[in-house]
This record gives sequence, C-alpha cells and structure tokens, in this order.
Amino acid sequence: MTIGTRARPRIALAVTITALLTITLSGCGRSAPTGDGRSTGVPAAAGTPVTGGVIEYGHEQEPPCAHAGWIQNAYLARQYLDNLVSLDDDSKVVPWLATSWDISPDRRSYTFHLKPGVRFTDGTPLDAAAVKSVFDTYLSKETPNSTVVAYLGKYFSSGEALDRYTYRINLSRPYSPLLTVLTQGYFGIQSPTALARGPKANCTAPVGSGPFILERWERNRAITFVRNPDYNSAPANARHQGPAYVDKVIWKFLKDPVLRYGSLTSGSSDVIYNVPVIDWADASKRFQLQQYITGGRPNTISLNVTRAPFDDVRVRQAFAFSADRRAAVAAAFRGVVPFNGNGALSQSTPDYDATLNDAYRHDPATANSLLDAAGWTRSDGGIRTKDGQKLTATLVYAADAIVGPEGAAVLQDVAAQAREVGFDIVLRPATQSEYFGGKYAPADTYDGYVGYWTSPTPGLLYINWRQRLDGSPNPNNTSYYNNPALQQEIESANSTLDPAQQTAHYRRAQQIISDEAVSVGLYTQTTSMATDPHLRDVWIEKSQGEPVFADARFVR
Amino acid sequence: MTHDTADTTRVETTAPESPTTDERRRGLFRARSRLGKVISAVVVLWAAASVTFILQSLAPGNRATLLLNLASGESRERTPDEIAPVNAQYGFTDPIWRQYLDYLGGLVRGDLGTSYQLQQPVLRVIGDQIGSTLVLTAGALILAWLIVIVVTVGTAGRRGPIGAIGSLVETVTAGLPHYWLGAILLVVFAINLGWFPVESGDGLPGLVLPVLTLAVPLAGFLGQVTRDEFARSLDQPFVLSARARGARDLRVRSRHVLRHSVLPALSISGWAIGALFSGAVIVETVFARAGIGQTLVTAANSRDIPLVSGIVIVIAAVYVLANLAVDVLYSIIDPRIERS
Repeated sequence: MTIGTRARPRIALAVTITALLTITLSGCGRSAPTGDGRSTGVPAAAGTPVTGGVIEYGHEQEPPCAHAGWIQNAYLARQYLDNLVSLDDDSKVVPWLATSWDISPDRRSYTFHLKPGVRFTDGTPLDAAAVKSVFDTYLSKETPNSTVVAYLGKYFSSGEALDRYTYRINLSRPYSPLLTVLTQGYFGIQSPTALARGPKANCTAPVGSGPFILERWERNRAITFVRNPDYNSAPANARHQGPAYVDKVIWKFLKDPVLRYGSLTSGSSDVIYNVPVIDWADASKRFQLQQYITGGRPNTISLNVTRAPFDDVRVRQAFAFSADRRAAVAAAFRGVVPFNGNGALSQSTPDYDATLNDAYRHDPATANSLLDAAGWTRSDGGIRTKDGQKLTATLVYAADAIVGPEGAAVLQDVAAQAREVGFDIVLRPATQSEYFGGKYAPADTYDGYVGYWTSPTPGLLYINWRQRLDGSPNPNNTSYYNNPALQQEIESANSTLDPAQQTAHYRRAQQIISDEAVSVGLYTQTTSMATDPHLRDVWIEKSQGEPVFADARFVR
Repeated sequence: MTHDTADTTRVETTAPESPTTDERRRGLFRARSRLGKVISAVVVLWAAASVTFILQSLAPGNRATLLLNLASGESRERTPDEIAPVNAQYGFTDPIWRQYLDYLGGLVRGDLGTSYQLQQPVLRVIGDQIGSTLVLTAGALILAWLIVIVVTVGTAGRRGPIGAIGSLVETVTAGLPHYWLGAILLVVFAINLGWFPVESGDGLPGLVLPVLTLAVPLAGFLGQVTRDEFARSLDQPFVLSARARGARDLRVRSRHVLRHSVLPALSISGWAIGALFSGAVIVETVFARAGIGQTLVTAANSRDIPLVSGIVIVIAAVYVLANLAVDVLYSIIDPRIERS
C-alpha cells in the first residue's frame, strides 16, 4: 500500500531555517541548480569491496508495529521477510521463495513450487503449510492485513498446501495482477510459529527468513537489523545470492530533514531516505542519488460527486482547467518531483496513459465558460453564485501525515488560481488523528480529498474505483463515484487473458476517470535515497520503493 | 471544654511558651503542612489524569477506526464488522464513566494500562524513554542556573555597558524559540563545524547541543528575574554594612547579595521543569534523541489514551516533586520562611 507519512509542520519550519542558513552561510555567489528528478549524482567510489561493516541508515517515519498494511511496513518487511515472488527492474515477476509457478488454463489457480531447505530464523521450516497459514492469517477477520485484504479480498477463494513444497492459491475469478501484487512487502512470509505468539510479540519482534533479523527496536531511535548468516533465499533479481555482506543495518528514525541530511553530510549516516528537496542539488554533487517514482495512484484531489458544487461534471472540469498545476508542482518541488496530471495512475504504472496528463491544461477561458454554462454566475469578478449559493468547495488534506510542506504549497497555488475563475476554495488541513480517525470519511465532510496509493499495478484502480454499494462498501472510493461502466472496464482488465486487451481496458478506465474529472492529478508520490560513495549497491526495489541493503558493500 | 480553652489561653498569654511546647507546635504545623502538600500532590496527579482522559475520550473521531487506519495507513470509514472486535478488545463501547473508573482503578494499582499503538505496557514504554528526557531536562536546568549565577554576579547592578550588555543578552536569549536555536546550533556546530555529533545518541558530547538549546532561553528568563532582585538587594543596608566591614566586591556579590536575589528565580524553577519538558518535544526531534517528548507527540497524534495519560501523569509527578524540592531549597536558602 499505501500512504506514507510525511514531514510534520514543525519540520517545515526547520526547512525554512535551513533555507535561510544556506543563503547566509554559503553567501550569495553559489547558484543552486535544481535536480532534474532522475539525477544519479556521483558514482560509487573505486576500490575493493569488502565484507562486514555496519550500515547507518537515516530513515524518516517510525510505524507503530513492524508488519501491517502501511508503506512504512513494506520498507521494513524487505529487510527481514521473503516473498513468494519478486518484481525486477523491468517490472517482470521473477522467482523468490517460489522457484516456479503454474497458472491453470482458466487462470483461477496459481500453483507455487517453493524452494526447499529454507528456514525462518527461529528454526521453523518454510514450507507450503507455513505459506498457507500466513496467507490465511493476513486474510482472516481477526488479524487481517488491510492491504492484503484490499488487493485479494474480492478475488481470493482459498489456499492449499498440496505437498511439502507446493502451495496453491485458488481465485474466485481470474486476477491478472496477482503475481505483481504478491511482490509487495505486505505479502511477505512470516514464521507461523512466531505469528502464533499473537500481535503483541510480533509488533516489535517479527520473524522471517530474510537477509536480516530484526534484533532490537529502540523506540524513537532505531531498529537494529543483524545479518542472517544462513540466508539462502535471495530473489532472482538480487545482485548476489547468499547472506548479506554487511554485519548490521542500523535503521534510524531521523524525522527532521535538516538533521537527516546533516547526518549524511557529517558521516553519521551512510545512506538516507527522502532527500530534502532543498538539498537535492547539493546532494547530486556529493552522493549517489536514487529516485523512485511510485506506481499506483499519484497525489490527486478526489472530487466528491455526491454534493454541490462537484456533483456537476462541468464544475469539476472547470476546476481542473482553472489552475496551472504543472507550474505549481514545478515551483513547489523545485523540479525534483514530477507533475502527474493523469488523476488515475502515476507515470511509472504499467498501462499509464500519458496523453491524459494534459487533458486539462491551464485554460481559464474554458473554465469560465463551463461555469457560465453550469449556471454559476458572477458580476464583479468575485466568487460565483447560483441560486444564492456561493461556489465554495472544501479540500481536506492530512497536512502532517500525507501532504508535506511542498504539497501544501501546490494546493495553496491551485486554490489561489481557482479563485480567479470564481471558485472559493477552502483548504482544510486535517490533523493525523482527525484524518486517520475517519473524521473526513463521510461524504458530507468534504468536496475534495487529497491522497495517494502506491502500487506496482494498474489493478489498483479496482481498489480506488469499485462502486460503493449497499452490502459491498468501498471506502477507498473517495470520490463517491459510482459508475458501473468504469467498474466493468477495470474488472475486465483485471480478468482478461490478452495483454493488449488488458491495456485497452485499463486505458478506457483512465479515460473515463479523466473525462468525468473525478480525480485531479497533482504530483507523483516519490521517494529518494542518497548514499555515500563508499557504500555501493544499495538499491530500491520496484514494487513499493523498498530500500534493499542485502547486496550493499563498503568500498575500501 | 470552654474552661480548658480559657485556661490554655490564660497560660499562653500570661507566661512565655516553654521551648518544648513551641517546638511541638512547630512540629505539628510542619506535619500538617507536609500532609497538605501530599494531599495537594495527589489532587494534582488525579486532576492531570482525569483531564487528559476526558479530553482524549471526547476528541472527535472514532477510536477503533483510528487504530485500524493507523495500522494500515488508510483514512477510510470502517465497517461495523471491522470495528466490533477492536471495541470489544479495548472496551471502547463501555460507558465513559466505566472506562474512567477502570482507568483510575488501574492507576491506584500502579497499572497505567497498555499502549493501543505499541502493544506494550505504558509503564515500560515510559521507563524506556524517561531516563533520556530527565538527563536532558536536569542538565538544562543545572546549566541554566550556572549561566545565571555567573552572568548575574558578574554584571547585575553595574552601571555602564557591562550591566546593559548583560541585561540585553538576557532579554534576547529569553525570547529564543527552541526550534530556532536548536536548528542553528545543529547546523553551525554539528553539521558545518563538526564539533559535536549530529545525532545526539547516548554519549556526553551528544548531550551538549540539546542541553544548550534548552538551557539558554531558560537562563535568559531566570536571569531577568534574578537581575532585578539583585539590583534591589545591592541597595540593602546589609550590603553597606558588609562593605563597611571591608568585604571585597566579588565577595559581597556572591556571598551576600546572590543569596537574596535567587529566591524568585528558584520558585520559578519548579515551573520551568514543565517548560523544559515541552521544549524537550522539539529538541528530541531536532537532535534525534529518544525521549518522552517524542513519545508524547506520537501518542497524542494517534490518540493513544493510556500512553498520553501515563506520560502526563509522570510529567505531573516530576513537576510536583520538583516543586517540593523547590520548597525545601527555599527554606534552606532563607530560613526565615520556615519560621514565619
């Protein structure tokens, strides 16, 4: 999944301070070139790679427990868990714990042949029975993994351990994204012995078969991963097989961006996550840089179609036309994070339709005439009205959890431009507890809702756009947009055998979402890492952007 | 009864009290005042626990939904099927007075409950984090006092530029926000000059910048209060008499005047403990220190009621203890207080 927690407000202040300091301390002579978003910075140092050593990794957010359905959980999972399959750099599914798999002719059962001789780090053998019990747990009513349920709930029928090393998933109907879905950290295989201890023990001490063992968790400080000396189950796309090269990874929680980047420049960290936008240009001259644009849904504004003013498609389209979102994103993110005008899928998702990026290019004249046609009038160039009602819309965003300071700047820019065609856009930052507490979940609490959902497959459209129906609720459809034709396109795409047809269905689905202007695209959800040149082969995997340290080596 | 009282009164008025009666009386007074302090301490703790509990319970948003969404990173509505087991596990659907009584009952038994989010006993979470914060705040308080004493004795009550500079420095530093000072110290002394570690860690070198961040504004504030009192005391007759006896200036200032002038700042120090804890929230984030401040922010964000209440109670307890310590110090520095 899903949603990454971003910088907090006080951190925004700290960013401003660094900005000021950078200006005052470095003088005005140095110009600051902005990164192009795909810069790779400097190459790794030449020299002899050595075994051993400790990687100090400066991460950002700390989840409450190690394994759950949040993107922070997927990052951690990659270190201590193995999955059935892995996603390589070309988005191809390759073997991991499953050395091969068979798909039945009706595409409703997937038989995985597991690698023999793999053990969890608590000694439990990793066999088909273990895999079955883990999937059953993730999909259970009592201890579900919500992201696993969101992907598989409507498709999974049963799991079977056919023999010691053969596990089969039976589906209720064909689901083409299945293998890709299984590559994400949420689907990692934990030791059933450890899982049976219950959520309390597993919260901070989960057990897997991965390259590292979660040894210690000091709250607010760091998680210590030690090398699993018996590791024999690296995925096919790993840079090497066998145990990790380094002895330990200290996974530190450095929430403040000034501190995080400073910890890298001062040598306290060898690698950091989420390079601050303001430090991007500097980092590109000193460190190895990697940027990962997550697939799935980009940061978008979902427009609530159940109430005025966005119950009228013309008003939704007018809103989309009213602002130069491309320029707003470029300004706020200094060119580091790309604009993503397609409100359905991010540009790194397979079958993404790039032509929809500019479906609503900045066009105030069209916006004005659409609003005129919809009956929203203005006399003095102010806020438009209709039947005595003002053209007001409230946009809710989780300022401290989902939308960082740069994202908030984009929203302010959009709101200001929308005002020029007669919208009164009210930006409502929600606190973390309001947001996660569901205060803004009911339809009558917002007109627009900002969010993203990271995913390696366009099959995600089913999660975001399945209709909200009695008996089959779908709270992830934040536009409250029920369109049977759209759902039909997505379901056909998810179930079809023919790749060309599948692409055509996914594209038609994106077209509908764009034509109806139910989701206004802003920018991609993007993560980045900066690594000291003396540490090579740290890489970011493709399914969620999880950092991989198992192949990393120091250079002496 | 009446006769006895009258009799006692007569005895008291006609003859001076014997030393033993006097001491017994004073002892009784002291015992009563100590009992009063214990009772007021308990009341403060109870009030802290209750107010926190009520505020957190009444805050908008459904707690079961919050717990589920935090675990998965979503913000959606939850179905009754999803919410029911969570409500059952945590008793969220019990009447509020019942939850409150359960909570108070736990407190009396020394059980602060289990954190919703971290799945650990609250006492253990606090135990893991409080040490680091106490070192930070105590270090800051001590350093602030050292700064105050040196600066006040050196500059207070002096005419001309020295006194003016001392006063100016205090006024400026008293107003420095922690996040600003912390970021400046971090960037200049840790990141650019490399004199101190960027991440605070456990060691003494890593403690310097966080402690300075908290101590400098506090020293400015305490210094302002002390400076006025210091200047007033310098005009007292006892200063003149000390000087007349030939005492040197530094001795007069540090021995005689300082003792009189620290009392107002001392009484504020009890309050300052609270301010230091709130400053610790920011300092711990800026310098990546473990501690109760960060834990409190995370817990409040996720409405982890047992953890928030537990931390508030512990901070209230530290606050109460600090104020008791201030009372004791007060009467050591100025024994007249005990007698009056």
